[in-house]
Amino acid sequence: MKNILLILSTSRTSQDAIEYAVTLAKREKAKLVVLYIIETELTNEVFDKFTDIGFIGDKPSTQLTEAIMKEYRQRGYEEMGKVQIRAMEENVDFDAVTTQGDFVEKALEIIERYKIDTAVAVKRKRSVFLKYFSKSMVDELAEKAPCKVEVFEE
Amino acid sequence: MKVQIDRRPIWLIIILRSFRPAFFLALGLLFFYLINLPTSDGLTIQGQRAIALFAVCLILWVTGILPLAITSLLAIVTVPLFGILDKKETYALFGNEAVFFILGAFILAGAVMHSGLSSRIALAIMNRFGNTPTGLLISIFLLAAALSFFMSEHAVAAMLFPIVLEIAKGLNLRPGKSNYAKSLFLALAWGCIIGGVATFLGGARVPLAVGMLKEATGVNIDFFEYTLAVFPTVMVLLLIGYFGLTRFFPSDIEDMHLAKTIFERKIKEIGKTGYREYAVGIVMVITIVSWMLLGKRFGIANIAIISVVGLFVLKLVRWKDIEEYVNWGIILMYGGAITLGAAMEKSGAAAWIANKTIGDWTTNPAVIIALFSLLTIFLTEGMSNAAVIAILLPVGIGMASQFNMEPKLITYAIAVPAGLAFCFPMSTPANAIAVSSGYITTKDMAKAGIVMMILAWLVFNLMAKFYWPMIGIKF
Repeated sequence: MKNILLILSTSRTSQDAIEYAVTLAKREKAKLVVLYIIETELTNEVFDKFTDIGFIGDKPSTQLTEAIMKEYRQRGYEEMGKVQIRAMEENVDFDAVTTQGDFVEKALEIIERYKIDTAVAVKRKRSVFLKYFSKSMVDELAEKAPCKVEVFEE
Repeated sequence: MKVQIDRRPIWLIIILRSFRPAFFLALGLLFFYLINLPTSDGLTIQGQRAIALFAVCLILWVTGILPLAITSLLAIVTVPLFGILDKKETYALFGNEAVFFILGAFILAGAVMHSGLSSRIALAIMNRFGNTPTGLLISIFLLAAALSFFMSEHAVAAMLFPIVLEIAKGLNLRPGKSNYAKSLFLALAWGCIIGGVATFLGGARVPLAVGMLKEATGVNIDFFEYTLAVFPTVMVLLLIGYFGLTRFFPSDIEDMHLAKTIFERKIKEIGKTGYREYAVGIVMVITIVSWMLLGKRFGIANIAIISVVGLFVLKLVRWKDIEEYVNWGIILMYGGAITLGAAMEKSGAAAWIANKTIGDWTTNPAVIIALFSLLTIFLTEGMSNAAVIAILLPVGIGMASQFNMEPKLITYAIAVPAGLAFCFPMSTPANAIAVSSGYITTKDMAKAGIVMMILAWLVFNLMAKFYWPMIGIKF
C-alpha cells in the first residue's frame, strides 16, 4: 500500500493542498498521513524579545510562550480534524502526527518512518527580496526528500 | 547513529560558519582604526576613543548580534580600559539614581503581577464594558494604555495577551481573516505603546533618558513635570489610535455573548480579592502619589526602594517571586547606557558630533526638535527603544549645550518618540506578540502603523510648539 504525506504547519496551511492530498490518496488507494508541525521559531523569538528587550522576567515570558503554543496546538488539532473529515468522506485510510520543531527535519523524519511515496507540502508566499536571498523550507525539503514532493502555494 | 551530510557548496558553509568570528574581528579592527586616526580639530583623544566605542555599540545594538545588556557591559569595561573616563567615575555611574528607580519600578510591577491584582482589574473592566464589539475594543485599548501608565508596557502586553487570545478564540474569529481580531490585537499593542510613554513607569526608557540628562548637565526632569508635558500628547494619540483601529479594521462581528462567558469564567477562577491584592494595590498607589508629589524632595529612586522594602516588610512578596518577574539584565543595560552617554558628554565627543552633523546646517531649536524626533521615531522601528536613546541622546545633549538650547527639550524629543514604535514586530515586544498570535499579519500592522507613526510625529511636534510653552517649556 502506498503512503501519501500531507505536511501542514503553523504558518503553512492550504485548503487546495488538503483537497489534493485526499484526492490523490483515494486515486492511488493509498494511506494518507497528515503531519502538523508546530513551529517553535516564532515563540522562541517572542520569548527572546520579552526577556532581552523588554527585560521581563522568566515567568511572564514563559506564560506568554505557553499561551501561544497552546493556541498553535489547538489550531493544529482543528486543521487535522478538517483533513480527517475529508478523508472519512472519501473513505481514505488516515493517520495523523503532530510534532513541534524544525520544519524540514521533522518532515524528513516522518517521510522516512512511514516510507512515504509522495509528500504534499504548502509553500508560504514570500517577497521577491526573500526569494532572491534565501531558499524556502519547502524547497529545501523537496531537495532533501527521498520521495516526490508536490508543492502548493498558499 | 544517523549521519547527516551537509550538501551545500563548501564556500557557502565556510562563509556561514565564519560569519560570527569575522564580524567581531571586523568590529575590533574598526574600533582600532577609529582610535588610531589622526585626532580632528576640537576633539580630544578621549573624545575620539569615546566615538570609536560609540560606533561599536551602535553596530551591536542595531544588529542585535549580542544581547543588549552584554553590549552595555562591553561599554562599561571599555570606558576605563581606554582611559575615556576614570575607573572610579565609570563604575560610580552604574549606581546612578535612574538605575535604582528602574529597578524599584520593575520590582513593584512584578509584585502587582504576582498578586494577581492587574489581571483582576483587567478582567473586571473588560467584563463591565465589553458587552459590544466597540466596548470591548475600547476596553482593551484603554486598559492596555492605562496599565502602562503604572507598570512596564511589556509586562502589560504579556499579562493581557493570553486574555485577548482567549477572547479571539472564544468568539471564533478567524486568524489572519477577521478584522475584529486584527483590531483587538493591534489595540493591545498600540495601547501599551501609547500608554507606555505617558509616565516614567511605562518602560525604563524615560528614566534612562532623564538619568543621562542629569548625569551630563545636572538638569533634572521630575515625575510630575514629565507627565504634565507628555500626557496631552498621549490623550490625542489614544484618540487617533482608536479612529485608526476602527477605520483600518471595521468590525465584522455583532454577537459578543461568548466573550462575556469567558470573562465570567475567568473572574470565577481567580476568586475573591485577597489581602495581598489590596495591600499591594495600596503600596502602589502610595508610591505613585509620592513620586508625583514628593519626588523632587526625596528622590524618585529613594521612594521606589522604600516601597520595595515595604513589600517585604508586609510579607507581600518573596525574593523568589520577584526573581521570576524581573530580568536583572536591565541593570546592566541601563547602567551601561548611562556610562556610555556620560563618556560621550564628558569627553566632548557628543558636542563634537553634534557640531559636525546637524549643527553645520541648522541651529533653529524647532527644526532640531523636529529632526531628532523624526530620526528617533524611524530608528525605534528597527531597534530597541532604549538603544535608540543611548545612541541619540548624548549627541542631542551635546547639540543643546552647543547652541544654548534647553537640554530638557531634546530629552523629550528623543525619549517620547523612542517609545512610539507602531509598525513592525521587531520594533517592540508588544508588536511581536500581536503578530505571533497569527490573527494579524506583519503587513496589516505595517499598513496601519506607518500612518500612526506619521501622525504621532506630527502630534508630538505640534504639542511641543503650542502646548509646551504654556507649561513653561520654551524653545
